[in-house]
Amino acid sequence: MSMMHAPQLGKAPSTAHVMRWVIAATLPGLAVMTLYFGLGVLSNVLIAALWAVAAEALILRLRHRPVWPTLNDSSALLTGVLLGASLPPASPWWLMGVGVIAAVVVAKQLYGGLGHNPFNPAMVGYALLLVSFPTHMTLWALPQPLWPESLWPQILGTVPVSALDALSGATPLDAFKHKGDAVLASEFWASSPLPEGTLSAWRNIALAWLAGGVVLIAKRLISWHIPVAMLGSMMLFSALFYASDTSHFASPLFHLLTGATLFGAFFIATDPVSAATSRQGKLLYGAGIGVLVILIRNLGGYPDAIAFAVLLMNLCVPLLDMVSVPRPVGQATARPDERKSAP
Amino acid sequence: MPAYEFPGGIYPPERKERSNQAPLRTAPLPSEVTLPLSQHTGKAALPCVNVGDAVKTGTLVARRDGMVSANVHASISGTVIEITDRAIIIQGDGEDRWTTLPPLDWRTAERDALLERLDDSGLIGLGGAGFPTYIKAQVNEHHAIDTLVVNAAECEPYITADDLTLRHYASDVLEGAQLLARLCGAAHIIVGIEDNKPEAIQALQALLTVSADSEPLASMTLKIIGTRYPSGGERQLIKKLLNREVPSGGLPADIGVLCHNPGTLLAALHAVRDGQPLVARVVTLTGDAITQPGNYWVRVGTSVDTLLEHVGVARERLHQVVVGGPMMGTPLTSLEASVTKTTNCLIAATKEELPPAPAEAPCIRCGACESVCPAQLLPQQLHWYARAENDAALEAHHLFDCIECGACSYVCPSAIPLVQDYRSSKQRIRHKRIETAKAEHAKHRFEFRQARLAREEAEKKARRQARLAQQQSASSDATGTQTAPVADLRSLRIAQTAAKAAVRKAEKVLARAAAQDPQQRHDDLETQLATAQENLKAAEARLTEARAASEQKEAP
Ligand code: SF4
Ligand code: SF4
Repeated sequence: MSMMHAPQLGKAPSTAHVMRWVIAATLPGLAVMTLYFGLGVLSNVLIAALWAVAAEALILRLRHRPVWPTLNDSSALLTGVLLGASLPPASPWWLMGVGVIAAVVVAKQLYGGLGHNPFNPAMVGYALLLVSFPTHMTLWALPQPLWPESLWPQILGTVPVSALDALSGATPLDAFKHKGDAVLASEFWASSPLPEGTLSAWRNIALAWLAGGVVLIAKRLISWHIPVAMLGSMMLFSALFYASDTSHFASPLFHLLTGATLFGAFFIATDPVSAATSRQGKLLYGAGIGVLVILIRNLGGYPDAIAFAVLLMNLCVPLLDMVSVPRPVGQATARPDERKSAP
Repeated sequence: MPAYEFPGGIYPPERKERSNQAPLRTAPLPSEVTLPLSQHTGKAALPCVNVGDAVKTGTLVARRDGMVSANVHASISGTVIEITDRAIIIQGDGEDRWTTLPPLDWRTAERDALLERLDDSGLIGLGGAGFPTYIKAQVNEHHAIDTLVVNAAECEPYITADDLTLRHYASDVLEGAQLLARLCGAAHIIVGIEDNKPEAIQALQALLTVSADSEPLASMTLKIIGTRYPSGGERQLIKKLLNREVPSGGLPADIGVLCHNPGTLLAALHAVRDGQPLVARVVTLTGDAITQPGNYWVRVGTSVDTLLEHVGVARERLHQVVVGGPMMGTPLTSLEASVTKTTNCLIAATKEELPPAPAEAPCIRCGACESVCPAQLLPQQLHWYARAENDAALEAHHLFDCIECGACSYVCPSAIPLVQDYRSSKQRIRHKRIETAKAEHAKHRFEFRQARLAREEAEKKARRQARLAQQQSASSDATGTQTAPVADLRSLRIAQTAAKAAVRKAEKVLARAAAQDPQQRHDDLETQLATAQENLKAAEARLTEARAASEQKEAP
């Protein structure tokens, strides 16, 4: 006779299963990105994933925790994939290493491992790299052939920093942000500021991320609350800016389809561990990210801002969890009952 | 009628077809029964037979102890062979000779007679909690009840006992509902049933269209609801049928509703109409390890092992036996256990069927649990606080509103046994409360002693006074010159009325506490009730004494 634990009637998807599905759902986005930006995208993801698994195994060893069961949950792998996908194509291997160690070792395991990290690990890694290695982090932009000329030197990090500028262009968000106050939006676009095909490349990549995200929601592996709230608030807020001054602020559609917006909405902001946990909390959390992204993009110093917005909202999660307790059935209010806690 | 919704819920595989195909059958008479003394909430019953006594089916073998308790009857005829502090064992004679109480007509019988019958028959709710029915039937003395809900939802996977009961005894069940509606004063009866029981629904529909013109006492409505777990939860069903919310920490009676399951209603009718105490019930016997799954009338006290043997159990494939459904039931630790009044289902499961839970992983705060919680709690937060043993936070997050339905555990991707955490947390908190209540209890025990002494004193005095009065009336020539202190009759009568009210209040408090929290012991409240009763008796004795004295005064 054995004791029944939880009802195991129908198989609820396991955490590992959820993580693997999220990884699988990144494939359309990665594929389209590779198509436009070359194999450097894939090399990023692979190297970052390797780093992630190695770093997690090592730190688990050091923490005297069982290695295999934890590796098997695939959460480190997912962090690696997401960070790899966020970095400019063919980033050098050591850059990935620094980012992933910050993500897996510092942001996750040192806080107690999966389930205990207050910040989104991938975004901690990303933010660290953005602040520490700004030159390397702007190697985006020019759509490249599948096998770019300097693929190997870039991956290996043997391109001298002075040569990096020659390789890079500005992302659409970056270019628009730095157009200068004197330049009107119409003039900016008229000057064809970006290489041919850049905008459509970003748009198609964004749509591929959307496709992956829709699959995740349809399969109920993520809840709709965060992406919908985030995109909704971004659209609304950017429309307000746009309506106030069409010549200096980008349109909602531009915000939606360039940069990491859709990737962020479905794959980054939805990290359950570091997000608010109740449904109502998730709506507030997503909306907060949306507002922050637009604020930083329009008024702040960074062009894309998903990472900072997510990290800032991570900070607010304890507060959100406190204010978003649902009203239990049969209770007059949602407020945690103070009287009851008296012994 | 509009459909209302309760939040959350899940759709586990139903697996009811295993037991709902065959008609209702009767399990063979067991050669021996083990009758637990505690098959109900409240105190265990007290044996009232001795080893060696001959009993018939229906003989009272253990009497209820205190208000929240229930009688136990022999479920076979034979001889009492053993009495332990937990059970009475009867060796059967194989003849099944019955003793029954005189039949009553529930339409014309006195209300008190009906209540007494339910009490005498050892009737308790057969749905699972096992609350004494006679207490529930009196609830309208403190609450206005307008609706009796027949909870035929039977939402747990596997279980089909109510389904089969309705298919075979629909009219008796509805008559039982009328009976209990009469007792609690409900003008409406609503039968709530999930749409996965077409035959039972048909049987009910046929009856309800006929009885529409025969004018039953209470109006009857059938409401067919979608199949979703846990729609058979009392609170969930009431929300769904009536769009009323049972207040937290309260009872359905607080919003004018009483719930009974079909089995209980049928047993109530048997007790009243046929004079049969509760000695048998319908049990679903199912699971992959059974060759003849189905529903059986089983005598209370039949051993699980014997029963499984009868329906053909493949022992080599048997992995565990679960009592109740797979969601809320508990696994048996030994097949020696016997069927009780609350055993609605036995699942003899193979390992493939109900596999052991995978290793627990950390909570990733995905919120899946929250989205299925019918009580709208935050299971993920409760989990966190339960593990940290942060009782204040647990109570603040309404741990006691959790109905332990297990929906959260069911969907958790990290395979966290959430309900187990909540159960043990509740237990820990209850334990703490009991500790603090113990001091209180000691105080009440002291008061009880004082009350008893006072009563004895008063009774002694009353007897003496009565004797005196007799003597004096005998020697009637005595003149009324003596100045015996005659207590003020009026104030004594007031005191007696107050004592009566105190008893009623104590009864109410106890019944309420027991209904709200059937798992907890209520010794303290029982003592309080006993104290009140002592006080009442003392007051009555004093009153008699005073009456005797005053008569004696007026007599000459
Ligand atoms: S379902 Fe499990 S893993 Fe998800 S939030 Fe609830 S307890 Fe945590
Ligand atoms: S067991 Fe409790 S917390 Fe879990 S879903 Fe049911 S009511 Fe909610």
